[in-house]
Amino acid sequence: MKNFLKRFYLIIILLFLYLPIVTLIVLSFNNTKTMGVWKGFTLKWYQEMFSNPQVLNAFCNTLFIALIAAVVSTVVGTVACVGIMALSKRQKNTVLQLTNIPLLNADIVTAVALLLAFGMFGISLSLGTVVFAHITFCLPYVILNVLPKLRQTGTIHFEAAQDLGATPVYAFLHIVLPDIMPGVFSGFLLAFTMSLDDFIITYFTRGAGINTISTLVYSQVKVGIRPTIFALSTVIFVIVLIVLLISNFLPEKVEKAKEKAEKEGRELTPEQRRKRRTAKKVGYGVIAAAVAAVCILASPYVGAMAGKGEVIYFYNYGDYIDPDLISAFEAETGISVVMDTFDTNESMYPIIEGGQVSYDLVVAGDYTVEKMIENKLLQQINYDNIPNAANLEPSYMEILARSDPGNQYMIPYAWGTVGILYNKTMIPEGRITSWKDLWDPELAEYGILMMDSLRDTFMVAEKILGYDMNTKDPEELQKVVELLIVQQPLVQAYENDTARDDLITESAGLGMIYSGEYLYCLDENENLDYVIPEEGTNVWFDCFVIPANAKNKEGAEKFINFLLDAEAGLATFDYLTYPTPNAATMQLIEEDIREDENVFPSQETLDLCDMYHYLGKEGDLILASYWKRFRGN
Amino acid sequence: MFKKKWLTAPYLVFILCGTVIPLLAIVYYGFTDQEGHFTLANITAIADEEHAKALGLALLLALICTVVCLLLAYPVGLILRKHAGGKKGFVVFILILPMWMNFLLRTFAWKALLANNGVINGILGSLNLDPIRIINTPAAVVLGMVYDFLPFMILPIYNVMAKIDNNLIEAAYDLGASGKTVLTKVLLPLSMPGIISGITMVFVPAVTTFVISQFLGGGKIYLIGNIIEQEFTLNGNRQLGSGLSLVMMVFILISMALLNKFDKNGEGSIV
Amino acid sequence: MSNILELQHVSKKFDNDLVLDDLCLEVKENTFMTLLGPSGCGKTTTLRIIGGFITPDQGRVLFEGKDITNLPPNKRQLNTVFQKYALFPHMTVGENIAFGLKISGKSDEYIRDKIKYALKLVNMDDYANRDVTMLSGGQQQRIAIARAIVNEPKVLLLDEPLGALDLKLRQDMQYELIRLKNELGITFIYVTHDQEEALTMSDTVVVMNQGYIQQMGTPENIYNEPENAFVATFIGDSNILGGIMLRDKLVRILGVDFPCVDTGFGENKPVDVVIRPEDVILGEAGKGQMDGVVSHLIFKGVHYEMEVQAGGFEWLVQSTSMFPVGQPVSLSVDPFNIQIMNKPESEDEEAVVVDV
Repeated sequence: MKNFLKRFYLIIILLFLYLPIVTLIVLSFNNTKTMGVWKGFTLKWYQEMFSNPQVLNAFCNTLFIALIAAVVSTVVGTVACVGIMALSKRQKNTVLQLTNIPLLNADIVTAVALLLAFGMFGISLSLGTVVFAHITFCLPYVILNVLPKLRQTGTIHFEAAQDLGATPVYAFLHIVLPDIMPGVFSGFLLAFTMSLDDFIITYFTRGAGINTISTLVYSQVKVGIRPTIFALSTVIFVIVLIVLLISNFLPEKVEKAKEKAEKEGRELTPEQRRKRRTAKKVGYGVIAAAVAAVCILASPYVGAMAGKGEVIYFYNYGDYIDPDLISAFEAETGISVVMDTFDTNESMYPIIEGGQVSYDLVVAGDYTVEKMIENKLLQQINYDNIPNAANLEPSYMEILARSDPGNQYMIPYAWGTVGILYNKTMIPEGRITSWKDLWDPELAEYGILMMDSLRDTFMVAEKILGYDMNTKDPEELQKVVELLIVQQPLVQAYENDTARDDLITESAGLGMIYSGEYLYCLDENENLDYVIPEEGTNVWFDCFVIPANAKNKEGAEKFINFLLDAEAGLATFDYLTYPTPNAATMQLIEEDIREDENVFPSQETLDLCDMYHYLGKEGDLILASYWKRFRGN
Repeated sequence: MFKKKWLTAPYLVFILCGTVIPLLAIVYYGFTDQEGHFTLANITAIADEEHAKALGLALLLALICTVVCLLLAYPVGLILRKHAGGKKGFVVFILILPMWMNFLLRTFAWKALLANNGVINGILGSLNLDPIRIINTPAAVVLGMVYDFLPFMILPIYNVMAKIDNNLIEAAYDLGASGKTVLTKVLLPLSMPGIISGITMVFVPAVTTFVISQFLGGGKIYLIGNIIEQEFTLNGNRQLGSGLSLVMMVFILISMALLNKFDKNGEGSIV
Repeated sequence: MSNILELQHVSKKFDNDLVLDDLCLEVKENTFMTLLGPSGCGKTTTLRIIGGFITPDQGRVLFEGKDITNLPPNKRQLNTVFQKYALFPHMTVGENIAFGLKISGKSDEYIRDKIKYALKLVNMDDYANRDVTMLSGGQQQRIAIARAIVNEPKVLLLDEPLGALDLKLRQDMQYELIRLKNELGITFIYVTHDQEEALTMSDTVVVMNQGYIQQMGTPENIYNEPENAFVATFIGDSNILGGIMLRDKLVRILGVDFPCVDTGFGENKPVDVVIRPEDVILGEAGKGQMDGVVSHLIFKGVHYEMEVQAGGFEWLVQSTSMFPVGQPVSLSVDPFNIQIMNKPESEDEEAVVVDV
């Protein structure tokens, strides 16, 4: 009974540890990208995994970084352990304390410390900075594994070998190393694991276009994760499982034969002895083969990285461009497009301002562009390289000229409004008319979603209170925060792009959303409808801009030109489902969609709306402090 | 034998460039304002209402998480000590293995599991049980923390437990101790290094996390880690972010002191 | 016979701890020399300096007249048999023995013959393919010796090689080592803290303490004529008493005058006197040089060991005849068996005595 309870307890713990893993594996076969619904078995995510360059790239990056970090830290760490043995007690203590720091330090502190240090020495972020950071935090794991083994081995075999004529290096390699090999090996494995599993440090130290699986997941979580990444993780997990099982348990099995023989006081047969040796060799061999396979897998990619030729580093919202257009552009021009993604203007801006990462082309919201212009972070666009700019709707260009006189810096990519998406089966049609409905306790039971985006979230309260959506008056903002705090208990979650998944799966009944999501959501769940509240809303333009530190301005302009083509604009519209500023494209859009006021609002609706503007440095600080006041509540 | 002190040189370079200089950088930023003048404002900012609240919540959740982890992990250590004698490699293997599924994905999976229309509620519903609604609450964040950090509590406790000589236990019984006395007077004190090491390995990452609160808190749980992250990624105020990070360093120093006191020989390491 | 090895004014400090102080030592060719002393006396350090594992702070090491002070161990024509054997656990017996030969680039055939020869020499003929971890302590010891001697060193260093073996095996191995030394005709330098081992095997014994050589000589010489109280106590059991040298050949101990054979100490000089327990003759009370009472009695097999209270001193006495506890007895000592030593003068020498 007691034993049964113990076993039961262990099983519960294991279930707890492995439940999410099983979930992910199951989801990788799910025939929809919406989580939480089973829509049948499919292998399409596995197929997509091999065709999606972003995923493959992240996969190769992850393995490349983990491999280099693990190898370097294993070599440096093992060698260091030999040196540490020679140190005096006090020196040894100091070194070991320093070794403990990365181990005990919070990842986020380690990460920002490294980021700041790179910044201070003017080192721009790249793959190299990530690898360096990983080596730094992997080293303690190697030292922790190797040093005790080395202590246990002691000096005696090393001395004996030298006494018999071996040089110190020969003695170390042939006598000490085989002895401490299990330690070195588990150090390597742990370093590799830690590097592979890291997110925070990579997130803060990576350069343009460097995505690992972790950072890719992080950026995807905000825009709706694609099961491709579940498929990839499943593949990695299964491969590692197999490799480790073979390398661990094959020698162990043979080792058991030895122990048994010893217990029975008899010698191993030569057959068994040979087996034992081969098993050990096979164990390490499997690992070595796996490592080699990774190298071979990654090598063409590393080679490609080195000799890639012309590249555009493109910084965009997540899931905000049709991947086929990128491929088409790459095929047409031979220029590779490396894309990083962000989820809000607010999280993009510090990256550009910091200057440690340089992009050639950025998609930014109108008010952020104003801020970038003011802070001289942009360079003027050369319209000679963009003949397709003629396709742009002149009235929009006029509106944008208010923010950017002469349209020198920004070229519109898409535009839209912010409104409320709701589920008609829960809430009667026509019931939602006002932003105030998001404060309605009766509707809270269906699940209300708010955006987690400073300007948009504030805008809703400002509209209800009848304030200007560009206010920076502390008294008004205080009222705004108070109103939002009142709403907090009613809100199911504050989220941006993932809101659409919750609405599609009917985990939530209504929520704030960008107008472009409407068509996509309707496709997935026809019960959904979109409303622009009667108080009016924000109209926004997402624009192409070229940062001042761009290295390939001409390439970026070529790419803009490519995307402004009427057909490309249509592909963009089909993919994003956001209104297009491209007049030529408009002609190609089906009429019923063109006349859907939810997608292309009428002029009367637009008259109710306004645009955000940059409020100056001091305005930003005021907004940020009130935002924190709201979020920290 | 090992007379070659200079072999530590490459490692020392990594310590210097990867640990010491970055920490000095964070100290520099933490004590200067945007114009580069000395200030204490970034440190004292921890007392601001929104920061203090986030810190308080983080400490509370991390504390709960640590206690839960300890309560869950200690029995595991006890059971494994007795029954997994020769299978140390296997135990470590089983506990490390989940790390090969990306950390963010594992956390994210809980979102799918706990969602109001998620897997767990689906199962509960089919059993005609009431659904649990904990997603986007502090409870979900604590669950995520416990999930992510539990192996770091089990491993050190198990490692110390596995080293306890069985003769000691037998000697205690021989001297008339009851099972309870053996646990409290022999096993518990002897496994202290593992417990302390486990506590620091769980508490520090839990108190500074920002991913778990972001994924499972539905944007409603705002911890000190989220504030620090946003000072760097949203507000671009590196000085304030550094100042708050320095405050977090206090907990790291406390951990190091604790480890030096209770786990001098590094017995309670996770390997 | 010439000196094969010479240590000249060697000093060594570890963390401000002076382990060897100006040590000078000459080792003749083809001798069995033992460094004997308690732990911490510097004997192992001396051996390691000879082996090349430690570089002395001062002084020189000469091998066949050539300075090898800074030569690394792998370049020295010496081999060591380590305390805990130091067999490489991931190699078989044969591979262990072949290790040094392979490094010096010997042919496979030569190596095979050598392994065979060495195993025969240590009486372990058929063990070449065994796993070293499965051998007993004594067998491992033999393999360690075989591994060292196949390299044909001119000097073999042995660092307490029998320390981990049980008594019977140790005695067997002692004879084995003497035989080996005679067959190989090379110099053995042997480190031990076991005086019996040292006396049994050595041609020359060097008694060390606190980094100094206390006495060097043949086993008989060391046993019978210890030069100071440390050597006397360390080698065998002794009664060490304070006495006054009244004049040549007469010493007063515990108020009783004993005739002896020593001369040249001057008159009325305080001295230390060593009397071995087997040299004290017990007899009927009143019939010896002084009287006492038996206070303890133990049977030791070959003889009885007794403690006798006499003149306020507890005498250790070994005798084949038994006197029960409480019995009054007389004590007497043959003049030849009384060993007179100078009282220590320097503080260092004092320290030597105190430490024991």
